[in-house]
Amino acid sequence: MTEAQVEPEIMRISWGPQHPMSGQTRILIDVDGEVVHRLIADLGFTHRGIEKILENRTFLQGIIPIERMSMVDTANMGLGYVLAVEEALGIEPPERANWIRSMICEICRINSHLYAFGLQAESTGYFPAVFLWTTVDREVLLDLMERLTGARWSYNFIIPGGVMNDLPEGFQDKVKEAVNYLRGRFEQYWEAMVENATFEMRCKGVGVLKREEAIRLGATGPVLRGSGVDMDVRKDEPYAAYGDLEFKVVTEAEGDAMARLKVRYHEIEESLNIIEQVAGDIPGGPVRVKVPLFPRPKPGEAMSRVETARGELGVHIFTDGGMNPYRVKINSPTLRNMYVFERMAELGRILVADVPVILYSIDPWYLDADR
Amino acid sequence: MQGADENSFVEALLKSYPELVEEARVLRPKRVSILARREKAVRLAEILRDEYGFIHPISAGAVDYPKDMRIQVIYYLTNPSQRFILTLRVNLPRNDPKLPSMTRVWSAMEFHEREVMEMFGVEFEGHPNPSRLLLPPNWRGGYPLRKDFKGEGVEV
Repeated sequence: MTEAQVEPEIMRISWGPQHPMSGQTRILIDVDGEVVHRLIADLGFTHRGIEKILENRTFLQGIIPIERMSMVDTANMGLGYVLAVEEALGIEPPERANWIRSMICEICRINSHLYAFGLQAESTGYFPAVFLWTTVDREVLLDLMERLTGARWSYNFIIPGGVMNDLPEGFQDKVKEAVNYLRGRFEQYWEAMVENATFEMRCKGVGVLKREEAIRLGATGPVLRGSGVDMDVRKDEPYAAYGDLEFKVVTEAEGDAMARLKVRYHEIEESLNIIEQVAGDIPGGPVRVKVPLFPRPKPGEAMSRVETARGELGVHIFTDGGMNPYRVKINSPTLRNMYVFERMAELGRILVADVPVILYSIDPWYLDADR
Repeated sequence: MQGADENSFVEALLKSYPELVEEARVLRPKRVSILARREKAVRLAEILRDEYGFIHPISAGAVDYPKDMRIQVIYYLTNPSQRFILTLRVNLPRNDPKLPSMTRVWSAMEFHEREVMEMFGVEFEGHPNPSRLLLPPNWRGGYPLRKDFKGEGVEV
């Protein structure tokens, strides 16, 4: 009999680029036996050069490529760009438009968090059912958006100066119906995920990110709040109608994959409250102010920040007095969280089976990391 | 008062370290811009991190100004207690765009500096992993976000 090899041997596993569960990217995992030695996020498979494309589009045309950055979270992405354009042009949207914007953004946030639930359940390998539930429940929200904007994805509904159209007749009642439906469905997710012993074993204490590390590594969104930092652009720098709406910033102290899931869960509850508030108390008035079709802002710069489902999106527009932006810099949330993911192997001992759980607990969206 | 944190920060910085800062101003509430000198940028970055609490890095980018023959590298930072955005800018000559890497101050700038490197051709001295981030390894088309880049039919 020969002895089994005893020296540690590093083997590299390539996960992707063909759709590792969601989106196109490649995760390289260097393993020593079962223990992960190093993680490498190989990005760029969906790089479309959106920043360059925007330099060759007028300010209104720019809404279309920027909303392609994240399909489930369209409105939040579009709003980040539109707020920067409005700042550059010096225009204020009417109050009613701001409330409608907040409502659409929260619908997108729920949509996106539900998708994240499905993927995180799928990543543990046991719960394809949850993914199917979220698909069914997201339908309700997509129908709502179709009724409002005419599209299920990529609405291009938020434009400089306000929103495209006013709410259709009876829309508020439909919103309340949808909110009630989702509230009724919600306990099921808590039972299937948070209270499920198997799921708990796969997620609790996995991929722990301490508070100081989360701040130092530049994490954002639910990843940062899951480590106990209460940073949320909606509160820190209220935009749209968030200054007038009541909601809490959700945080969890543990910093593991389960904490990130719980943050998303409670954020959905907060989002449902916001949507209900908007449907109940939305002020009247016009929904947009007139903006020229080819606006030419003064030379200078404008920088907006919005809280998307995955974290903070910053859009920094430089203008030179022309019809197109001189340069648009997009600070995307997933790129920041992917760096945190890469460092996970250095922060604690992780096993190769935990890699999918950790990756999908940060809820990556490669299209917005690659731009 | 809105913008009080930002104003007092800029005043304190200009008072304590006038030799490191070329220009510091509040662009609007929640937005502060600091222009650093290239050779003193890392020193200023360390002071911002250690003394003024800018421990939460956001991103880094750049803008190309071919008319002025310069590339401006911009670091986006925030401070978890005051939560305004600080843009730390450094002007580099376009024919010699070199800058000491800020990854020794904020390690999370690694990805963002790699992107600036491939998109603008800025060289970051002392970067731990100076490889491409988004462009394919066999890309020969030049630096896409520079203004003189022509995006027509590039052989890869």
